[in-house]
Amino acid sequence: MDPRERLLSAGKRLTDPAEALAQRIAERAVDLIVQALDINQLVQRVDLDAVLGQVDINTILRRVDVNALLAQVDVNALLAKVDVTVLLDRVEVNALLDRVNVDALLGRADVDARALIDRVDVNDLIRRVDLDSLVQDTDLGAVIAKSSGGVASEALDAARSQAVGLDQFIDRWVGRAIRRRQAGPPAPAALLDGEAES
Amino acid sequence: MSTRTPPAGWVSSQGHYAGAVSRFLAFVIDVLVSSGLAALGLAATALVVQVVTGHSVSWDRTNIVVAIIFVAWEFFYFGYSWAASGRTFGMAVLGVRVVRADGHGLDPWRGVVRALVFPLSFLFFGLGFLGILVQREHRALHDLIAGTAVIYAWDARAARIRFLARDAEAGPGGR
Repeated sequence: MDPRERLLSAGKRLTDPAEALAQRIAERAVDLIVQALDINQLVQRVDLDAVLGQVDINTILRRVDVNALLAQVDVNALLAKVDVTVLLDRVEVNALLDRVNVDALLGRADVDARALIDRVDVNDLIRRVDLDSLVQDTDLGAVIAKSSGGVASEALDAARSQAVGLDQFIDRWVGRAIRRRQAGPPAPAALLDGEAES
Repeated sequence: MSTRTPPAGWVSSQGHYAGAVSRFLAFVIDVLVSSGLAALGLAATALVVQVVTGHSVSWDRTNIVVAIIFVAWEFFYFGYSWAASGRTFGMAVLGVRVVRADGHGLDPWRGVVRALVFPLSFLFFGLGFLGILVQREHRALHDLIAGTAVIYAWDARAARIRFLARDAEAGPGGR
């Protein structure tokens, strides 16, 4: 064996136990120091404002890649955790609306009122109005009754409506009797077109 | 809510072909009115003749002159009414009117033709009127010849509103 190697081997046999002993002593000493230290007291003695004052946040933020950070965020999972109802409960809508200047809002909106009205099918709108309830539930009925009163007009309306009812009744029965398979047009062509337009 | 509220079915009938009952009732009214006017006219004529000449005149129904005058009057009554406005007095009461077969307003000459061919529908026990019942457009023989049709022309929607208004005015227990 090479004398140099023998010397190194002997040295190693001596240094390894010594190194392990030193390691154990150091760990023990650290444990004792940590146990002896009152971290809270230590933190209280630190002037955090002074420390933070020395930190250049802007520099740090400039070094942060926000896009990469956001790319790692699962927004859907985040939103799934949000209780929207609770969130909305906390919003005071009336106060919010009080702060909205509706006139200014409408002024900013590019709304062409005429074009908007042109797009509304007024005839369809009128057809949807429940005239029966409108006449019966409002003072409109009284106004119409007073303006169109008269025994003659009432009798005329009654006679005509009865006649139309009988016409329809007879037409149904004649249709059955002659086994009319296909009903004719209800009105002349020009008037049907007029109906379609109205 | 009154029980007199009319059904809404006839509201949409405006412009539709008129049925047999409306047309028959209109015709009955026209016959009564035109006959009454004819009788009134003959009575007035007899009175004038009596006053002027001193002779009393009695109109005999079997007299051919009276018959011709009556037929001419009836033709004038119906022909003029249809040519002028597309409706007679009876039709106005029932809210029906005569139009061209395609639905446009009646030409005066077509009204006159309709009056001329109208008697044809009475032939063979009124067979010509059968078309009002069975024809798809409710057109009688004289309608087919003259190229006309009869439609409902009254504002049923307005009538229904008037009905409802009267009921509303009368109140829940009204009438």
